[in-house]
Amino acid sequence: MGYPHKPHPKETVVLSKHFGEADAKSYKGWVKRGGYRALERALATEPAKLIETVKESGLRGRGGAGFPTGLKWSFMPREKKKPHYLCVNADESEPGTFKDREIMRWTPHALLEGTAIAAHAIQAEVAYIYIRGEFTEPWAAMEKALTEARAAKVFGDIQIYLHRGAGAYICGEETALMNSIEGKRGNPRIKPPFPAAAGLFGLPTTINNVETLAAVPHILTNGAAWYKGLSLSSPKSTGTKLFSVCGHVQQPGNYEVTMGFPLKDLVYELCGGMRPGRTLKACIPGGSSVPILDRAETESCLLDYEGVVERGSMLGSGGVIVFDDSTDMVYQIMRLARFYAHESCAQCTQCREGTAWTTKILERILAGQGTLADLDLLLDLSENMTGKTICVLSDSCAAPVVSGIKKFKSEFEAYIAGRRKPVMVA
Amino acid sequence: MPDELVSLTIDGVPVRVPKGTLVIEAAKQAGVLVPHYCYHPGLPVAGLCRMCLVEIEQAPKLQIACATQVAEGMAVHTQAQAAKAARRGVLELLLINHPLDCPICDQAGECELQDFTFQEGRSATRYSPDYAKRFNPVEDFGPDVLYVPNRCILCTRCVRFMEDVAKEPVLNVSERGDRAYIGIHAEGRLDHPWAGNVVDLCPVGSLLSKDFLHKARAWELDKTASICTGCSQGCNVALDTRDNVVVRVRPRSNLEVNRYFICDHGRMNYRWMNRGDRIEAPLVRRGNELHATDWDEAVARVATLVRGAGSRAVALVSAKVSTEALFLARELFRGHEWTGAFQVVMGEEAPLAGVPGLALRAERAPNAKGAELLGYGRGYSAALEAAERAAIVLVLDEPDIAVRCEGVLIYVGTVLPEGARDAAVVLPIANIAEEDGTFVNRDGRVQRYSQAKPAPGMARPAWWVFAELGAALGHGAPVATAADAFARLARSVDAFRGMGYERLGFGGRPAAAPVGV
Amino acid sequence: MSVGAQPPPGAGIEEYRPVFADKTLERLNEILTRYPTRQAALLPALWLVQEARGWISDRNMAEVAEVLGLTPAYVKGVVTFYTMYHQHPVGKHFVQVCTTSPCNICGAEAVVRALLDATGAKELGATSPDGKWTVVEVECLGACGFATPVLVDDDFIESVTPETVPQLVSRYQ
Repeated sequence: MGYPHKPHPKETVVLSKHFGEADAKSYKGWVKRGGYRALERALATEPAKLIETVKESGLRGRGGAGFPTGLKWSFMPREKKKPHYLCVNADESEPGTFKDREIMRWTPHALLEGTAIAAHAIQAEVAYIYIRGEFTEPWAAMEKALTEARAAKVFGDIQIYLHRGAGAYICGEETALMNSIEGKRGNPRIKPPFPAAAGLFGLPTTINNVETLAAVPHILTNGAAWYKGLSLSSPKSTGTKLFSVCGHVQQPGNYEVTMGFPLKDLVYELCGGMRPGRTLKACIPGGSSVPILDRAETESCLLDYEGVVERGSMLGSGGVIVFDDSTDMVYQIMRLARFYAHESCAQCTQCREGTAWTTKILERILAGQGTLADLDLLLDLSENMTGKTICVLSDSCAAPVVSGIKKFKSEFEAYIAGRRKPVMVA
Repeated sequence: MPDELVSLTIDGVPVRVPKGTLVIEAAKQAGVLVPHYCYHPGLPVAGLCRMCLVEIEQAPKLQIACATQVAEGMAVHTQAQAAKAARRGVLELLLINHPLDCPICDQAGECELQDFTFQEGRSATRYSPDYAKRFNPVEDFGPDVLYVPNRCILCTRCVRFMEDVAKEPVLNVSERGDRAYIGIHAEGRLDHPWAGNVVDLCPVGSLLSKDFLHKARAWELDKTASICTGCSQGCNVALDTRDNVVVRVRPRSNLEVNRYFICDHGRMNYRWMNRGDRIEAPLVRRGNELHATDWDEAVARVATLVRGAGSRAVALVSAKVSTEALFLARELFRGHEWTGAFQVVMGEEAPLAGVPGLALRAERAPNAKGAELLGYGRGYSAALEAAERAAIVLVLDEPDIAVRCEGVLIYVGTVLPEGARDAAVVLPIANIAEEDGTFVNRDGRVQRYSQAKPAPGMARPAWWVFAELGAALGHGAPVATAADAFARLARSVDAFRGMGYERLGFGGRPAAAPVGV
Repeated sequence: MSVGAQPPPGAGIEEYRPVFADKTLERLNEILTRYPTRQAALLPALWLVQEARGWISDRNMAEVAEVLGLTPAYVKGVVTFYTMYHQHPVGKHFVQVCTTSPCNICGAEAVVRALLDATGAKELGATSPDGKWTVVEVECLGACGFATPVLVDDDFIESVTPETVPQLVSRYQ
């Protein structure tokens, strides 16, 4: 449901069915709601069969990359010669995204069940759930749930451990996450080697997002065909997605809809639309690392992987940030650039220096000292920062900058020409 | 069994290299240097400076040459527009915080940031002068290394060297983003015996040697291939001289011996090469005093003394003297009852953990193995005793000598020690920075070193001195070059059979006979 | 210097009290069983230090290094990477306010100003004169739909506004 609000009739409630129900957090409460039956059956199923089912379902990674989950699982060695690992990415730090948090604090057992099923499918005997350090409430819920589930011995031989992050967005990148678990700086790794070949501690590893794994028990219970059927448009995007809507809407929150749902309806209907007297100016549909959509693009966008690409952006994590006409786009783009500059791990030259320089130029523009040449410089810098680094944090900084300058050029020009009063001090 | 070979082209030039070769290495074979910073063949690949981006046909994005393996039929374009633009971008970004320190920076003239910027960087920065550059104060990391954070380009070569080659992670990357710098902890300074290599590895003037600080400009230096004399490992080095003074020792790469590194003991051990208190003329005894004279008289005097003396001869030699000299010194006493001995100062061994077979060796002399192969023994005290009753005693560059001798004492050396003041003749020789020659390291590798500066006064290479003495005694013709001296040695001694200076080159070769450790 | 070494007599330095003793050591030993390497227990170990001492000093880092078989420099490199580890003492209550764009457009900066005022901390990162509060701006806290989220120590408080700040602060007085 669109917690903290009641489920909207247009939602397709699967993952969020029990959000807000305090009883759902306990082992007993979860079992009462049908929990752990899928796991029991899965543990008695051949791993290869599980992988096939998930492949059939068309489930794609819900963390942001959208990689087909069954295919990812199939990259693990069929024949087990060394220990395998599963890492659960609960580092949710993409601005605009707050769905994994809800899954963990309301339905921790859903995640545990999905984790155990996935571990069995990829023949991993150990799974680490990497939870960002700031998620104190989800951590507590997961810890309690894990203790109860362990006591009930539902996981078979699979060991699940929680691992606490300590304040680094970049640890949400799968190879950086592995480095962080290993007790290192959260630096992304160059690929190859790929995690399925040499990942955590150098051994075959799969990394999956929380929302992805929470969907797995439902797929096993209701079948791949059912999951595939939950799609309004593209056959390549199946199932439901929790969209975290925030910013300038009346009712921000998580909303669960089938793939292909119109973004327009999500914003204007389910979220109650704009604040009184306000109109939509811009929307970032997939967490801050994807290009900004203007109003026309937002109102004609379908929410699945292909549909958003058609509008020039990406589905990403599904963190929908809505900006109304009161927004200073230049300031917000600067604030996003500053976010990336804070979070850069410092390995790649383009990211380390480029995110900081981008921020400085935007600050100067906001201080009334920018020039038109600065806009060309920003675009050139962004080009330099795209497609040339170990991970895509650098590209993520460039995305709002490029799309922002393209679609909201007049706001930049207003600062540069002195038509708008500076809002920062040089 | 040969490695499977792969064919590809680099900028149109075809090359064939073993499977698994990195594109950046394959490019070297095509004569192409792909600009780079963080990559180094002696360190694990990091792939983070992003400088070596190249275009590879059919790859959707630019690839880093340092982490891409060759593939059959691959076509690499290092000069493609996109690749050059990417590299220009990296250079611009490296320079936004890098201070314009060239006029006061030691690295100028041998700086890879200067080189690649000049080659393909922008001629002016677009970074507004309104922005302050990142600033951190200079830090003293330990015995010889200074860290200038403002110049650091975060290539992490130093961190990787200490972690993966020295296996003592005392350097880290601290902080994140553009606040990052190379850090160290109060408990754990950079005093590892091999730590000085981080200064060589640093592509810019960020890690500096205190010993070399502001001593000379890179373009004033002459560089000469040589062999380190610090111990018996035989690391290949380059002697950097300025106005005929050795000012710096740096490693020369040799994959069979020291790979790319030298230890701090060898690195700092060069001041003796510049000593001024040298014997500058041959000295002969007249009455109670030694008088300077010319080579003709000195050689003639030695010949007379040797012919008139008994047959018992003892040679006490330094293990720091060239193989050629040791050989010809032995030849001098052909027909005599001869004992030759050397002693070696011992010290603590200090391995470089990440390179098996490489260490600062306990034997602190470069040619102990050479001396052994030529028949010199280690029974030094016995030889000293024998010297007391010998007819002729030859002491070769042993400044701590305290020999009592009833017979003829001939001292051949670089400096004149107290114990040599009773000598009948004193002959001045060049030190190893002032001559060509060879050493044999502990693993039996014969390696050449070259003359880096002129010998003082009338001092001559030791091989020349002994060849002249030998000729005066009828043991053969004089020798004109070190190569000829070595050739004569190679004809006579089994371990060196078939060798010659040309074949040895500057990588060296293993001695022929089986060598014990 | 190894853990437990005595400082020279008359040095005037306080003897270092190890963190990993008794219960804390027990907890670390349990954590070590979860990973195949000692190094992997580094982040959990650092959390234990911060829990016990409120921050992580250079000396603490050396202790952690010794316990896990790492070097102090290595541990320091890790500590300085992760922003949640404090490298110097902070106020009794550590307040983290998200000001990244989604919260920013919902008034996060006003919440920050209100907090700086109400706690007496006045400046970001500074500790209030009574030593009770330190307020910092942080990046996205993953609760964007509940703007503005504020972390006070381990308490995650949603939907804070400048109006509700005084009440929030008084809860901790």
